[in-house]
Amino acid sequence: MYTEIYGIALRSLLISSTATLLALAWSIPFTVKLVSIRHESKEAIVGVFNALIGLPTVLVGLVLYSIFSCSGPLGFLELLYTPYIIIIGESILITPLLISLLYEIFNRAYNEYWELALTLGADKFQACKLIIREIISDVFVVSLIGFSRAIGELGVALIVGGNIKGYTRVFTTAIALEVEKGEFGTAIALGLLLFIVILSVILTARVIKRRV
Amino acid sequence: MKKFLMISIILVAITAITTIIYVSLFGRETLRVLKVSTTTSLYVTGLLEKLSEEFRKEYPDVVIQFIAVGTGRALEIASRGDVDMVFVHAPSLEHKYIKRGILVDGRIIAYNYFVIVGPKDDPAGIKGLNSPVKALKRIYNAGVSGMTLFISRGDNSGTHIRELTLWRKAGLNPIGQKWYIESGTGMSKTLMIANERKAYTLSDIGTYLKLKGEGILGRLEVLVDKGEGLINIYSAYIVNPDKYKVDYELAKLFLEFVSSKKGQKIIDEYGVRLFGRPLFYPAYGKENELKELWRVLSEG
Repeated sequence: MYTEIYGIALRSLLISSTATLLALAWSIPFTVKLVSIRHESKEAIVGVFNALIGLPTVLVGLVLYSIFSCSGPLGFLELLYTPYIIIIGESILITPLLISLLYEIFNRAYNEYWELALTLGADKFQACKLIIREIISDVFVVSLIGFSRAIGELGVALIVGGNIKGYTRVFTTAIALEVEKGEFGTAIALGLLLFIVILSVILTARVIKRRV
Repeated sequence: MKKFLMISIILVAITAITTIIYVSLFGRETLRVLKVSTTTSLYVTGLLEKLSEEFRKEYPDVVIQFIAVGTGRALEIASRGDVDMVFVHAPSLEHKYIKRGILVDGRIIAYNYFVIVGPKDDPAGIKGLNSPVKALKRIYNAGVSGMTLFISRGDNSGTHIRELTLWRKAGLNPIGQKWYIESGTGMSKTLMIANERKAYTLSDIGTYLKLKGEGILGRLEVLVDKGEGLINIYSAYIVNPDKYKVDYELAKLFLEFVSSKKGQKIIDEYGVRLFGRPLFYPAYGKENELKELWRVLSEG
């Protein structure tokens, strides 16, 4: 029992943190590009991402299921019902959230520091360094928000992960199963544990952030 | 700006790759994996995990992965070739998938009964009736006159399909009426709703006993458990290997194990220790009888 819960906790952490990193890998460059666009359509694009934050997780799960199912276009990859597909799903799920939050940060930093640094005689590389130093801690916080959203979602993990014991069972799907079994005590205990895990990750991260 | 981009991408990519490698250590790619989609009742009661545990004593290099969903979805997943095997309990639906050539090697593995449960004070007066159809007629009348509610699964599961069949046999159509509530969730949540709202519902006996044992269905009791149309037949199928990429050999091994004397004994004894009575009855020795009942049910 304890090894199983330990496994669930570790698996949840790994899957969701990987998903967050993956989502950052495309969200950061994309947002940088977005900030540098000088066109009216920029606001519309940002608006679309704002709206996509509310996308139901089961819908993301279902779309991914149709794509990665054996009879779907990417079925040959055989990723369905593995932890990898949950990572992909969660990273897609949190991308709109990351882009929306990062956009505000990057945009403000860009407007405040970029021109200023250049007029004060910095070269582009130095200006970049300055901006990175200014925003790095905010980006850090955004990553944590993304992580919390990823580890707390149910729909994607349930539909494409399948809640397979010892393989794709994560906190949220385990809780759903315990509710289905009528074992409310276990479900609530798991829920508390999930909260403690998220809280400790975030508190640790904030301490590190302060040091940096 | 370019350098900033490069650095961020490289950093993130390196971390992502190492973590993916780390996660893959948890993977079980080296073992033979059998993927099974199953109706929730067999999984939630713990029976399938028990069978898999015993099976793995004989075949330790096999991992059986259960995906527990309603019967409707379990079959849909099978028809896309995403699993090797299914465990389901809706003959009329199974029949369609067999005809489409999706399922092969069908075997009845267990049975139990559906029961109509409801509030203890039984406003529709169905307690002790020996016909579910008669009971539904009374619930219908009580519902129309505003005395009670009925909670339907409404999720295309085996239980939902049976409920609809019984309404049809009663010559009634409650869908859309105020007292007929479609929960759209699994059996457990539907039972909890029925408990809260003091309503009637159709349940498989296994899930009901499991939840009753947890002490959360205080207001409900079994009111009708006898009569034609309440038998609940669980079957296992292998997904057609000619059509999909299926580990037929392994699926066959598990199927044989479940229907073997040993597997059937596990089914027979399961639940007695926990609930004082079996949750499922083995099909062993009653195959022909059950096949006939299955045939009748499959015609809807």
